[in-house]
Amino acid sequence: MAAHLSYGRVNLNVLREAVRRELREFLDKCAGSKAIVWDEYLTGPFGLIAQYSLLKEHEVEKMFTLKGSRLPAADVKNIIFFVRPRLELMDIIAENVLSEDRRGPTRDFHILFVPRRSLLCEQRLKDLGVLGSFIHRDEYSLDLIPFDGDLLSMESEGAFKECYLESDQTSLYHAAKGLMTLQALYGTIPQIFGKGECARQVANMMIRMKREFTGSQNSIFPVFDNLLLLDRNVDLLTPLATQLTYEGLIDEIYGIQNTSEDFFDKLTAEQEFMSGVDTDKVNSYIEDCIAQKHPLIKVLRLVCLQSVCNSGLKQKVLDYYKREILQTYGYEHILTLYNLEKVGLLKPQTGGRNNYPTIRKTLRLWMDDVNEQNPTDISYVYSGYAPLSVRLAQLLSRPGWRSIEEVLRILPGPHFEERQPLPTGLQKKRQPGENRVTLIFFLGGVTFAEIAALRFLSQLEDGGTEYVIATTKLMNGASWIESLMEKPF
Amino acid sequence: MDCYTANWNPLGDSAFYRKYELYSMDWDLKEELRDCLVAAAPYGGPIALLRNPWRKEKAASVRPVLEIYSASGLPLASLLWKSGPVVSLGWSAEEELLCVQEDGVVLVYGLHGDFRRHFSMGNEVLQNRVLDARIFHTEFGSGVAILTGAHRFTLSANVGDLKLRRMPEVPGLQSAPSCWTTLCQDRVAHILLAVGPDLYLLDHAACSAVTPPGLAPGVSSFLQMAVSFTYRHLALFTDTGYIWMGTASLKEKLCEFNCNIRAPPKQMVWCSRPRSKERAVVVAWERRLMVVGDAPESIQFVLDEDSYLVPELDGVRIFSHSTHEFLHEVPVASEEIFKIASMAPGALLLEAQKEYEKESQKADEYLREIQELGQLTQAVQQCIEAAGHEHRPDMQKSLLRAASFGKCFLDRFPPDSFVRMCQDLRVLNAIRDYHIGIPLTYSQYKQLTIQVLLDRLVLRRLYPLAIQICEYLRLPEVQGVSRILAHWACYKVQQKDVSDEDVARAINQKLGDTPGVSYSDIAARAYGCGRTELAIKLLEYEPRSGEQVPLLLKMKRSKLALSKAIESGDTDLVFTVLLHLKNELNRGDFFMTLRNQPMALSLYRQFCKHQELETLKDLYNQDDNHQELGSFHIRASYAAEERIEGRVAALQSAADAFYKAKNEFAAKATEDQMRLLRLQRRLEDELGGHFVDLSLHDTVTTLVLGGHSKRAEQLARDFRIPDKRLWWLKLTALADLEDWEELEKFSKSKKSPIGYLPFVEICMKQHNKYEAKKYASRVGPEQKVKALLLVGDVAQAADVAIEHRNEAELTLVLSHCTGATDAATADKIQRARAQAQKK
Repeated sequence: MAAHLSYGRVNLNVLREAVRRELREFLDKCAGSKAIVWDEYLTGPFGLIAQYSLLKEHEVEKMFTLKGSRLPAADVKNIIFFVRPRLELMDIIAENVLSEDRRGPTRDFHILFVPRRSLLCEQRLKDLGVLGSFIHRDEYSLDLIPFDGDLLSMESEGAFKECYLESDQTSLYHAAKGLMTLQALYGTIPQIFGKGECARQVANMMIRMKREFTGSQNSIFPVFDNLLLLDRNVDLLTPLATQLTYEGLIDEIYGIQNTSEDFFDKLTAEQEFMSGVDTDKVNSYIEDCIAQKHPLIKVLRLVCLQSVCNSGLKQKVLDYYKREILQTYGYEHILTLYNLEKVGLLKPQTGGRNNYPTIRKTLRLWMDDVNEQNPTDISYVYSGYAPLSVRLAQLLSRPGWRSIEEVLRILPGPHFEERQPLPTGLQKKRQPGENRVTLIFFLGGVTFAEIAALRFLSQLEDGGTEYVIATTKLMNGASWIESLMEKPF
Repeated sequence: MDCYTANWNPLGDSAFYRKYELYSMDWDLKEELRDCLVAAAPYGGPIALLRNPWRKEKAASVRPVLEIYSASGLPLASLLWKSGPVVSLGWSAEEELLCVQEDGVVLVYGLHGDFRRHFSMGNEVLQNRVLDARIFHTEFGSGVAILTGAHRFTLSANVGDLKLRRMPEVPGLQSAPSCWTTLCQDRVAHILLAVGPDLYLLDHAACSAVTPPGLAPGVSSFLQMAVSFTYRHLALFTDTGYIWMGTASLKEKLCEFNCNIRAPPKQMVWCSRPRSKERAVVVAWERRLMVVGDAPESIQFVLDEDSYLVPELDGVRIFSHSTHEFLHEVPVASEEIFKIASMAPGALLLEAQKEYEKESQKADEYLREIQELGQLTQAVQQCIEAAGHEHRPDMQKSLLRAASFGKCFLDRFPPDSFVRMCQDLRVLNAIRDYHIGIPLTYSQYKQLTIQVLLDRLVLRRLYPLAIQICEYLRLPEVQGVSRILAHWACYKVQQKDVSDEDVARAINQKLGDTPGVSYSDIAARAYGCGRTELAIKLLEYEPRSGEQVPLLLKMKRSKLALSKAIESGDTDLVFTVLLHLKNELNRGDFFMTLRNQPMALSLYRQFCKHQELETLKDLYNQDDNHQELGSFHIRASYAAEERIEGRVAALQSAADAFYKAKNEFAAKATEDQMRLLRLQRRLEDELGGHFVDLSLHDTVTTLVLGGHSKRAEQLARDFRIPDKRLWWLKLTALADLEDWEELEKFSKSKKSPIGYLPFVEICMKQHNKYEAKKYASRVGPEQKVKALLLVGDVAQAADVAIEHRNEAELTLVLSHCTGATDAATADKIQRARAQAQKK
């Protein structure tokens, strides 16, 4: 048992136990001593659900990192590859298998695909002539990993980039699968709300998958009342701003050296943008940052923030920034700038209209009087700025999205509502004063500040809603921008 | 109840046997049974008849007819036999009819006479012909044993997984054995055969002579042998009219009987049931039927007609031209209740209930009697159990009524057994109906299980009944209704006279979204029947893309497969189809297909990015995606080329593409980059050091640091570096060099576009307060206080702040007032503040 997972309204230990059971079952399938060869990327997520002791109990004696050429010597009966379904990894595995010493004791090979088996990868293994070498080829549907009593993450680094830059829905498919697993354990979620293209797609996939599963009727009493699917690109602003909660700050400044003076100047610039001051001009703080060659990520984050807070920059301003960045940091960054434009973080203002003030006012994104000691509103997490994403969630629960139709239309992507009918026996009769439980899924990542804001809402006495948060990745502005950067050399 | 036991016949002291009618047969048999090869499947299964023209010398010009009937005599199939001479017929456990031909080929037919497949029992059999054959059942499935013309045995223990085994030779065997049978011991099939007075057991390794213990002397030949339904017992009929009964292992004798009839019987079968009191054998001659066991007397029946015996788990079925009967040992519960003058609790309860219905007080007396003995629970159980063994619904009802009556007087009698028996009997009565014709007994039904029974109903295409049973028993849909509907659909797709549309619609109407129905399985069946279009229509209803796609690919509908894969959102599936398409189509068509599927296109682009860069370029070219082409060339300029000229050429391509994409900015920037690259090359040649791939900013900085101010200036001008940034650049570089003199000169070259505070800051950063102070004086009024504080001149900072009357500045200065030295300054500020407030 992991105590930190069971304190919330929804006992996430159930999920953890379910995935652990699945892992044990697989390990026991491969009888005898084993060595695990890890796709390095997976060790982090696995660490959260199974410690070495669990593996050891199931006769895992050695662990290696997946790399080319020959496998290290290990006196074990089974070699199990734990990998993501990626072609490049298949090539490495094939190399490992083919260079196996034929004279040594024969060892059984197995593959565990995380989170899904892939025909494509199996075809590659077949083409490389090693598919038959594997006795068990299974999948381990580790989609959502419990991090905390109210927090689940897929830890999929590239999810935002794949969805919004490369139009690759793989992680959305995994997200939908993860939600199906969750529903299998915690009951069908009766209502699904969503905003954004990706949200729409995930909801469609879920509805489709539900049809696929109609045979096994879910008879579990629903724990969640609602699911809210939110595209990260509905709210590009929030992650760009510096998080000012305790956890958020640690996340922000970890590994970054900053003088307090400069930190203050940066916050001032950010707050000006978010409150709508001079967002249409070249900002001298940004200019100075470039001139002093401050870290590029910091600069990009500020420029993007300005762009988002102005519904895009005037062409002249945008070109100026871009030129400055290319001259200072190198022309190779033209690729990165293009990526940022493609996902909408950086863009020329179209139609000469700045919608941000309308959004800011309607959603009350900027609060001038913030009480950081005894907060009364979520805006405390950014010292005045209320995260748009969380505001959307808050307004959904009360008074409902109908009140903000106009703003929803301005924000990108469709908004929608779907109902998943429940058999009468499973319909909930809410006790007076009993809070709803909403699962909010951030497609493309969530920040600690947003989590803090949602936790704040959960704790409000008259809030009426408690939140469980799921995401493709726990992120901050820096890691986010970095994932979109392209370094050709 | 006297009349009820009228058909009970005692065998010895312990057991009764009864024979009752299952059906009166009105099958229109054209042949006498004795002229036919007959096979009746156990568990109330179908009956197959094939007039045997090959046995007689008659010309075989007339082709015989193979007929299949239900156990109640309803015709299921009738077909003209066009293949070779048949030696033996038999039913498999799946109710498939196996017809063993003389040449060793076994033809397999379905219940409805539909040909399924055929297989051969091997070359040796083909050469020596089949003399005799048996179909037998084991826990692994159904087997075939063959006796060839060379008096050798070949067998396969499971026709589903055909492995032929040739049995060892019997030494000195010159003629066919007088009788033989298959045995199954320790999960292996053996053959027991009789030659003259000797018995031999063949296993796969050896032939051994065996002797039954306690066999009466004087036997010179065995005429008949019978092995029981469960392979546990064996009976031998000798030419002396003597019957030996014992275990099939031939280790133990159970009993023996002398019937004094020397004529070889037509059939001999075991008649017992699980937990029988008596082990009995039924022997049939032309007109006589005899039940013999461990008793001095036998039970005898006269056969009016040519009859055929079918051994069952718990008795023997006997059918003839006009009737179909069941002969069995009366089960214990029935015996207890119905035996004349029985005082068993069940018997009393049945009486009590009857009296109760007559409103007689005797009911109470009986009931009291049972209760006093504390046997009411037992009585109820007996009645329930006995009801199960009754064939007639009126008897079932009266026993169940008695049970229900007795239950009322019991506090906590668990209702399950009663409810379940009512349900089971309802199912049994339904399937025993002569329209259905499956005369299962309760014990057989339990042994068979409801799942198998449903399968058999499905085999008979009795879909509605099967579904009603599922619904009645509330079986989970996946095991019950869905499975049956799926079977129905698979049957439906084979109806070739119905159009694809109609079949698809009919199937969807019935199946809808019934859970657990696999439309792809049905579609696969349709495809198997050559109905591709129907298969595609059916796949439309399949919600699981993972199932749709592989079948579509198999049917070569790759484009449809692609759109299905895309719909599913499963990218792996999309990739699979894409790679399939790539091999199937020529490049042009493949690209066109991609073009119409944006999602697939982006996935394929990602694939190419990692696996096939050249294809990626072609894809962009095809779509006139000049922006991406530009980026492609930019990447290429870094990737392979080492030489500057190669890189410049790639960048030129990029710039051209950007122009085509109307991205002027990117084009210009790329041209700038080319210019810079050439220049850097030249700088390396002229000045040495490393320049290539430095940013413009860093190139200028390097020049300044290297003392090439002129060149730096020139470069800045050429690339139009904004003044502000250039000042920052030079300031930073000169401070790094600690070239204070040059810095001062630079500061005075013209009015600083960035003010002088940065000068103060940078000097302080280098810990040069002396230099910093020089610039502090030149800092403009807005930043003056900040500058003064930086160089540590708190007093002057205070003065300026007071002069500015700026509250924020005052607070700032105050916060810098530390210790005693600044006490006076702090005072001064406080006073100024106080004064300001007065005004």
